[in-house]
Amino acid sequence: MIEVLRAGLCDLVMDLGWPGWGALGVPAGGAGDPAALAAANALVGNNEMAAGLEVTLLGPLLRFPLGGVVALTGAPFAATRSSGAALAWNQTLVLAAGETLSLERAETGCRCWLAVRGGLAVPPVMGSRSTFLPAGFGGHLGRALQGGDVLPCGTPAGAVRLLRARTPSNAQAAPLRVVAGPQLGQFDDAGLAAFFAGTYRVNAASDRRGLRLRGPAVTHAQSALPSQGVLPGAVQVPPDGQPIILGWDGPVTGGYPVIAAIISADLPRLAQLRAGDAVRFVTMELERARALAEAAWEIEELA
Amino acid sequence: MGKDTMGQSHIPPVWRWVGERGLRIVTGEATLAYYAALISQGLPEIEDLVPADGSLLLILRRGTGVSAELRAALTALPVDEPMKQGALHEIAVEYGGIAGPDLPGLAEQAGMDAASYINRHTAAEYSVAFLGFQPGFPYLQGLPRALHARRRASPRVRVAAGSVAIGGTYTGIYPASGPGGWHIIGRTTVALFDPQREAPALLAAGDRVRFVPI
Repeated sequence: MIEVLRAGLCDLVMDLGWPGWGALGVPAGGAGDPAALAAANALVGNNEMAAGLEVTLLGPLLRFPLGGVVALTGAPFAATRSSGAALAWNQTLVLAAGETLSLERAETGCRCWLAVRGGLAVPPVMGSRSTFLPAGFGGHLGRALQGGDVLPCGTPAGAVRLLRARTPSNAQAAPLRVVAGPQLGQFDDAGLAAFFAGTYRVNAASDRRGLRLRGPAVTHAQSALPSQGVLPGAVQVPPDGQPIILGWDGPVTGGYPVIAAIISADLPRLAQLRAGDAVRFVTMELERARALAEAAWEIEELA
Repeated sequence: MGKDTMGQSHIPPVWRWVGERGLRIVTGEATLAYYAALISQGLPEIEDLVPADGSLLLILRRGTGVSAELRAALTALPVDEPMKQGALHEIAVEYGGIAGPDLPGLAEQAGMDAASYINRHTAAEYSVAFLGFQPGFPYLQGLPRALHARRRASPRVRVAAGSVAIGGTYTGIYPASGPGGWHIIGRTTVALFDPQREAPALLAAGDRVRFVPI
């Protein structure tokens, strides 16, 4: 059980989402960096499907009345424990009964994931415990956490092991690698030059539905398009020429030309972009993108 | 419209990648036939299928590619098999007024009075082309040509749940409140999407819809 003494900016219960409902207009959703959440779950001995918390920029103050075993992965936050004990990322942490955990603010990046031994036991909806804010369902009452909330945890199985995770190499400052999109041909030369040579800034209106960028206008030769299926990482360009990178809760269909798609290996980086960050793009062949396996986390015993 | 361009032959479809996992298949008028055929085959590498306007997006599971089975399925789809008729839904709509603020303007643009516009909208039988934009949002085809209208130049920040709307050649219904760029002509109290139901979406692609004025 976890008591929310103070909510963060947007604390969401997340698991790996609910792929398979696209024909009903429901995106797969789930954690912005599924591998990071899965690693946090591994550190506390959970199944990778267990639900944890996705914390964005400003985090919550949580109390563990019965204690607990937790792990944090993703963006490093300024954070403290009421016991004064060390608070490290990427390793198993054992909290005493009544201990509080305060996640203040992200030092770099944007999102971190908190796994709790036993998993957050909110009722599953459509086969997942993830929160889907755009339609207000899933997770904890279909919304971000609020002060006073109490989150139930599942019953853990097996012995607690103290583990550490090695994060995959992270090149957050490098250009985002993309493969050509299905409507690349609908852009004119000036538009393509702007997109591939320009520097964009993440707009404050960004959220889990999409990262809105501001920068050199990507001009179209033809902007009209019938609605087509899209997926996270697709880069749409509306008539104003300002690209939108679709996020995990983005629509399943879109009517704007898709100029490019972020490669799978770089999708976790999208979860760490915040308003004002610079974004550039570099193109890559599809076969090469496929060969870059999604960066793997390694879990090992804590010495 | 365009029925004759589909053809009855088994010409392999055109496909394009959307990233490493998205495979966009041009399906023309046969989108739902492709969708139904691929669903029935239950190919393990397909994580999700998204029917849209003349195309179908296949989302492949991480780490999988196009298997020989999938390739064969795509080139041998029974596109000339007749689709079975979907269920018919009657949806009660309160037209105009606060429920449908764009009705007077659309009617004027179409050169008719509001009552005639409502009559035309309710006289037609629609079919669900696909669901998208929001969970359970139906893109309904069969809108009489006289009622077609370009989307609003600037989208509304908030459209009420249940709003019945016109967007281009489609009519549709917003299942949840939120931003929207279609013209709002009325409202229904029917729940189009409820994640707690066994079938969360009221309407499925291929279903038929009639609007009944209240």
